[in-house]
Amino acid sequence: MSVGHVARGLEEAGIATTTIMVEAFRHRAEQMVVPRAVITRFPMGRPLGAPHDTDRHLDVMRMAFSLLETATESGTIVSYPQAYRVQTA
Amino acid sequence: MSDDADASVTGVGETFDEFRRSFSYGSRGNLNFKFMKSMSEADAAAFLATVLQQLGDAYDTGDVSPMIETAIEAQIAGYAPKPADMPPMFEFDSGPFAPAKTQVSEATIGLLTTSGHFLEDDDPEPEGMTQAEAVDRISESLRGTPTLSEIPRTSDVESITVRHGGYDITSAAIDPNVSFPIDRMNELERDGTIGALASTYFSFPGATSQGRLKRELDAWIDRIKAENLDYMLLVPV
Repeated sequence: MSVGHVARGLEEAGIATTTIMVEAFRHRAEQMVVPRAVITRFPMGRPLGAPHDTDRHLDVMRMAFSLLETATESGTIVSYPQAYRVQTA
Repeated sequence: MSDDADASVTGVGETFDEFRRSFSYGSRGNLNFKFMKSMSEADAAAFLATVLQQLGDAYDTGDVSPMIETAIEAQIAGYAPKPADMPPMFEFDSGPFAPAKTQVSEATIGLLTTSGHFLEDDDPEPEGMTQAEAVDRISESLRGTPTLSEIPRTSDVESITVRHGGYDITSAAIDPNVSFPIDRMNELERDGTIGALASTYFSFPGATSQGRLKRELDAWIDRIKAENLDYMLLVPV
């Protein structure tokens, strides 16, 4: 919910935002009508993925940044399609 | 084990209902699983039984990903709004929308997280509080005024620490990039995905008074605007 206030304030100030958050808080994104968001099906506290899972972090971020170029209205919320990767190394 | 030992610590005489609730700011205090408090007893029992079944399977397969997926599913169910819940404090039908003015590859982009990361030599109020104290004092945080910390983009990830009473910070402490992707921003600038980076990023612990946050917001927006950025990546936890 906190980030929803920040997003709304920034958009009103003319700064477009894109948000990465976990599925458990999808309802918050919807209630706050977050302008653009990628929802990851990851555990709370790890919205970009597991520690040191660099490729996954970058992939999620690229999807979030692409929303800046494609979204045409507030409340553009999309789901990241991949599962949380388990670190085996 | 003495007869008068605390049942929530020893498990002796503890009901399953007490057990599942003990993970949420109780004797077991494991924020990864505090969502069990928000499930029905039957759903919490089914969750644990499924995880144990999958643990047994993992003895043979070595694959723990089904357990992780079960926990994520249970967390989503635990946090989902319930009919008996109070209505949300804030709910909107629409929201402001600043149209994108430039390609990301030509834009200056900032970063703001609610993870509670901060520079070790810029400890926000209450200064010096430990993570354990932050968890113990979560009710106080939820009534308090948040501090917006600044983290220069050139900061070494080793100089960044994290404190937040609302979630399990283990991953965020091991690698801040899971919720404050300072290194990933550098990498995306280097490969040309991002045009340029803001000089300063921002962080605060999102477990805070929403009313007090809103009162701080105009001043925060002014500080952020001074970064002259086109876009902001927001990462709540």
